[in-house]
Amino acid sequence: MHFYQDPQFGNRMLTLMAAFVLVLQIAMVGQRWLITNIRIFAAQSFLLAGIANTIAYFNHAPHLYIAAFLTLALKALLLPILLERMVKKIDIGQEIAPLINVPLSLLISGGLTTVGYVVAQSFHRPAETASPASLGHNTLAVAISLFLIGFYMMISRRKAFMQVLALLCLENGLFLAAISLTYGMPLIVELGIFFDLLVAVMVLGILVYRIQETFDSMDVSKLSRLRG
Amino acid sequence: MRSLVVPALIQFLLFLLIAPLVTGILRTMKARLQTRRGPAIWQPYRDLHKLLRKGMVIPDTASWLFSATPYVVFLTAAIVGLMIPMVVTVAPLSLFGGVLAVVYLLALGRFFMALGGLDAGTPFGGLGSSREMTISAIAEPALMLAIFTVAVSANSTNLTDMAKFAVSQNWRFLAPSQILAFGALFIVLIAETGRIPVDNPATHLELTMIHEAMVLEYSGPYLALIEWGASLKQLVLMTLLVNTFFPFGLSRDWTALGVTAGMGFYLIKLLLLCCFIALVETTNAKMRLFRVPELLAVAFILGALALISTFVF
Repeated sequence: MHFYQDPQFGNRMLTLMAAFVLVLQIAMVGQRWLITNIRIFAAQSFLLAGIANTIAYFNHAPHLYIAAFLTLALKALLLPILLERMVKKIDIGQEIAPLINVPLSLLISGGLTTVGYVVAQSFHRPAETASPASLGHNTLAVAISLFLIGFYMMISRRKAFMQVLALLCLENGLFLAAISLTYGMPLIVELGIFFDLLVAVMVLGILVYRIQETFDSMDVSKLSRLRG
Repeated sequence: MRSLVVPALIQFLLFLLIAPLVTGILRTMKARLQTRRGPAIWQPYRDLHKLLRKGMVIPDTASWLFSATPYVVFLTAAIVGLMIPMVVTVAPLSLFGGVLAVVYLLALGRFFMALGGLDAGTPFGGLGSSREMTISAIAEPALMLAIFTVAVSANSTNLTDMAKFAVSQNWRFLAPSQILAFGALFIVLIAETGRIPVDNPATHLELTMIHEAMVLEYSGPYLALIEWGASLKQLVLMTLLVNTFFPFGLSRDWTALGVTAGMGFYLIKLLLLCCFIALVETTNAKMRLFRVPELLAVAFILGALALISTFVF
């Protein structure tokens, strides 16, 4: 048996990639530059596609290859390009102006990760990790953490643009949870989600542009002054 | 006990001799990356030689702390050098708690350095000391977390046991916890040795300097001891980094052949780490002082995640 057919090896690669996904998510919380944030998101999606591919390979689940390919094409290439173009077009200030300062945000996301691990612990069955069927079960903790940190980013960032990005990260967390627990949703659901995401980003892009046009700023806290 | 006297001597001499060389190599590498010629790699030795022969100026306001500091800084770094496995998994000296003693001996040296900076009574010294303490207060927890990650998987805080465990497990460094801990320890290494995103080792007059501000009043042999101590500390941290995470080629016992082979591997690993550090230093700009806690917070979070993931994955 070659080493690349060994489920142990697959498991190790999976945890490694999942750990990097988590690190990238935390890097996104710590990063101030909008463009860098978009690129981190692209790298994260790329790793996610890698995880999907690995699971597909070891579980012989061909439909996951399609999900992996879509992740790669859409989230790692198309969306980042769209978003970057938007940043250049709106010409917004590069600094993202968080509500809570960066070191505290990092500590909070560390705490959220711990919560994610604690929650996932109850799902963890170490006895079964050796068989290929349970491959990637231990990435659930990472998925929950991604989810929580995505929420946190959405709350703590003032600029509408970062909230779009936070939504995408949150979706990454959902995707990871789906593929690590159930080897992906049915293909039609998967396709629906991807299409939904694409449309959502486009609509949000227009919305962000409008906010910028109307208020000369992307600060969503200014929206509360809107009265009919 | 007697069997460890010769190894202790060998390791002590090796540390003393290699430490300035590493500083020199780093400088040269940086210079080459910036398309300068740079000084020869032997320059730190020449500096030390010159400083040791010179006279000293001691400020009138200075107390005994000023004179004690260089010795404490140098000796703590040298003792720590004996406590970590360098070319052989067996460290010649093992004091209370192993790795904890290493961390706190380094902290003792830093504490005296800060006192020495304050003692001369110049504004620059106080400035440097306060900055050094601010940074180390955040760097130390990150260092501890990263080290505990390794200690937990080896079930011991004794560095010899940790090294033996590391050698027995091939490819362990691919585990997520190890990679996260490596990241944390690398950031701590950058911060503790005053390298570029945190402090600039190449300047003597810049308002943002940290280490250089503390040693501004020192001259002659005292300065030589402090500089030598600083390069020893740098080598200690680098050794800790390469040997705990990449234990390839660590010899199992003190035989002539083992030591020679271990030495070769050790030098290659050090050289690679130097390349990496020089690359990081050249590609990054120095951070504003108020941004440094952010970088160290990243190290802290990485360390914490590493510790968590040893239990989960």
